Amino acid sequence: MKTYSGDFTIPVSRDMVWNFLMDPHKVGPCLPDLLSMDVSDNHHFRAKVRVGVGPIRGAFDLANSITVEEEGKSASMSVKGGGMGSGVDMNANMLLEDLEEEQGTLLKWTCDVVVSGPIATIGGRLIDGQARKITEQVFENIRNALVSLKSEVAVTNEEAE
Amino acid sequence: MAINQCELRPMGKSIHRKEDPRFIRGQGRYVDDIVLPDMLYMSIVRSPYAHAKITGINTDAAYQVPGVKLIITGEDLEKMKLAWIPTMAGDVQMVLATNKVLYQYQEVAAVVAETRAAAVDAAQLVEVEYEALPVVVDPFRALQPDAPVLRDDREKKSNHIWHWEAGDREKTEEIFQNAPVVVSQDVRFQRVHPSPLEPCGCIADYNKGTGRLTWYVTSQAPHAHRTVLAMVTGLPEHKIHVISPDVGGGFGNKVPVYPGYVCAIVASLKLGQPVKWIETRTENIASTGFARDYHMKAEIAADENGKVLGLRVKTIADHGAFDAAADPTKFPAGLFSIVTGSYDFQQAFVEVDGVYTNKAPGGVAYRCSFRVTEAAYLIERTMDVLARRLNMDPAELRLRNFIKKEQFPYQSPTGWTYDSGDYEQTFKLALEKIGYHELRKEQAEKRARGELMGIGISTFTEVVGAGPSHSFDIMGIKMFDSAEIRVHPTGKVIARLGVRHQGQGHETTFAQIIGEELGLSADDVLVEEGDTDTAPYGLGTYASRSTPTAGGAAALCARRIREKAKKIAAHLLEVGEEDVSWNGEAFEVKGLPSRKVTMGEVALAAYTNLPEGMEPGLEATYYYDPPNLTFPHGAYIAVVDIDTGTGAVKVRRFLAVDDCGNVINPMIVEGQVHGGLTEGFAIAFMQDIPFDEDGNCLAPNWMDYLVPTSLDSPHWETDRTVTPSPHHPIGAKGVGESPNVGSPAAFVNAVVDALSPFGVEHIDMPIFPWKVWEILRKNGVTE
Repeated sequence: MKTYSGDFTIPVSRDMVWNFLMDPHKVGPCLPDLLSMDVSDNHHFRAKVRVGVGPIRGAFDLANSITVEEEGKSASMSVKGGGMGSGVDMNANMLLEDLEEEQGTLLKWTCDVVVSGPIATIGGRLIDGQARKITEQVFENIRNALVSLKSEVAVTNEEAE
Repeated sequence: MAINQCELRPMGKSIHRKEDPRFIRGQGRYVDDIVLPDMLYMSIVRSPYAHAKITGINTDAAYQVPGVKLIITGEDLEKMKLAWIPTMAGDVQMVLATNKVLYQYQEVAAVVAETRAAAVDAAQLVEVEYEALPVVVDPFRALQPDAPVLRDDREKKSNHIWHWEAGDREKTEEIFQNAPVVVSQDVRFQRVHPSPLEPCGCIADYNKGTGRLTWYVTSQAPHAHRTVLAMVTGLPEHKIHVISPDVGGGFGNKVPVYPGYVCAIVASLKLGQPVKWIETRTENIASTGFARDYHMKAEIAADENGKVLGLRVKTIADHGAFDAAADPTKFPAGLFSIVTGSYDFQQAFVEVDGVYTNKAPGGVAYRCSFRVTEAAYLIERTMDVLARRLNMDPAELRLRNFIKKEQFPYQSPTGWTYDSGDYEQTFKLALEKIGYHELRKEQAEKRARGELMGIGISTFTEVVGAGPSHSFDIMGIKMFDSAEIRVHPTGKVIARLGVRHQGQGHETTFAQIIGEELGLSADDVLVEEGDTDTAPYGLGTYASRSTPTAGGAAALCARRIREKAKKIAAHLLEVGEEDVSWNGEAFEVKGLPSRKVTMGEVALAAYTNLPEGMEPGLEATYYYDPPNLTFPHGAYIAVVDIDTGTGAVKVRRFLAVDDCGNVINPMIVEGQVHGGLTEGFAIAFMQDIPFDEDGNCLAPNWMDYLVPTSLDSPHWETDRTVTPSPHHPIGAKGVGESPNVGSPAAFVNAVVDALSPFGVEHIDMPIFPWKVWEILRKNGVTE
């Protein structure tokens, strides 16, 4: 098992971040190389993503579920699945904190990743860097989406004015 | 220079290998070359997890692939009582996982389809739901009381499999308590794999009409496989026909019966069509019998003059998820107690504990008589540690401790009776031939200049040729071997043996033995092996046992024929049998050597002109049960130079002086030594199968598990001494595994010797350049 972690600030309110994270239609597209997704309810969705490590190329079918730990503050997301005889098991924890003077929100995350099967073995020494990159990419995408959402909100507000 | 096969008195001559033309021209016929009408193909679904519960298997999508005929799961096999099969080590192993998987790449389902591509495609669509369980990859962790118990099918709720010991614990203890010098060294023999060029595979062809199963399989032991199949499947043994065609390398990998074999057979029984299964490279390395994986600790007690007194060895044997080692029944740690090697210890005590982990099962004898390689490596490595501690030349230390020529037959403190040997003679030849003292001088000069050069010695003793049936059996079957010889009317011979060669040259060497005994050329004798319908029963080829067992059978079988031939010769020469003698090429009348008949003339008479009352024909069968094992030995010396910038090791010279008793074909012996040394080189410098903490196998292919080519391999120098085995019919001992057994220690000793100015006493294999580079960097040699 590998554990990765990070944090970043987003110049939007904690409520806005929380609502984003709780919406599979918004979080789903943050998975890198998403091919398709299928939302079953507010907390569960399936996603098909393209994967490539070393000589292994193909698609992973992932079951995602979001669990509320503390309303508006902390949540976890599990991503489980695989393909091509390989498996992946990710458990991410997200914690939101208000920044001072309404500067936005701090998102702290940690993620445990277990990769198994040929993708872990044939990918060999590439897998650690790759898993870290993909995990970081997920949160980078979440941040970018929220930032662009904020500017969209700003534009809408401007238009409304 | 090799000589023509037509020459008479072929014994001891470098005759061209009969099998080479077909192999070199691509005319070998391997399992995958065989195509039968209506043949189907099988592909196996394997677990990505090293330890997980299986909560569901859905085959619907896979069945939708055009051409898919059958998908077998563990549940199906359970109904046939075939979900588990016995291993050769007395354990049981899963054929297809039922409730849980215990290692990555474990077999979960088998898909049979009309084409190989359809089978592979459909296998990817079999949906298996897993629930991951905690993984144990470290055998020491597996032995901790709070470690998860992996094998809940066993009564014993522990990952400990067995404890085995040899020698005298108390007496050894006493020696250690009073010894002036004691050295101790932890030595790991990493997990490696025989990795033959041709992976495992078979075609199961069940004929519903005749009720007979023909099983083409790349097997080192076809007769044993047939018996095991009969026991496991309940098919009558005479209704199973095993054919092992040309085998593209075995090295111990093709001794066990693997789950894929059982699945292919079940599929053919169900469908009544031939089913072919050929492994991929990754399947071969990641799931079939690995070798070694021993965590060893050796302690030597000695006096100040370097005379060794006692040896104590404690070992943890990592067997993976099932104990699927190919060891004789009474020897769970194989012949590991040969660990006292070439040295005259007063006492020794050896203990080994087998352990389960979440790794592929095995522990096969990779070019090795069951754990002899681990033993030879350990003692040869530790002798160097002792030499360093005593500040003594490792060559001198060895010369002081060899078992002496006059001590043979020698009783070892762990219970072996060494047949013959002259260690000093062999070693002195090696020292002289390589110019040992000049090399030491050169090394001293280079050290003064800051250059790193090392000299490594290994003077190993081997134990091969299992075996006497009083001690050795596999699953109850005694380890003898056999030969059947038929001399046809024109003096041409077909000989069949119970062993099965995989490149060792049996078609030539056994023809030489028989030709020599019958006064024929090797060209007159056709050797056939591998077909259970025609060949006499035998235990197969591994552990360098073919020449010690089947070679003995061939010689004695030929002598049995010669006895009858002598009677016919007397009849043809019109003299009494007591007046006939054999001159090596013909029967002659004693005192009248011009009056003679050849074996060819006798053969014709055996079918046309017999003495009255004699049974026609000229055939014999011989089952040979050797009285003891044979004990080949050798002295190997490696010279290495280390690049002080990169840590890369260059093997500048390597000399192997082997003593394998009488030699049948020197060229073949040399070839065997070259091959084994190349494997030993790979183990020392290139090969390891590591696992990450989740049980992912990190070297399941030739990108990560390196196989040396001629570009990587050093130039090999060889020589030999001859100490015949006193009990073998032709004085031969066996040589195939000696170079693999003896060479790793020479390589490692050489590298450690080069790095000894930095206080280095040991480096675990494989010695990758980065390991050496880290030592150099720590000592300020490089940045």
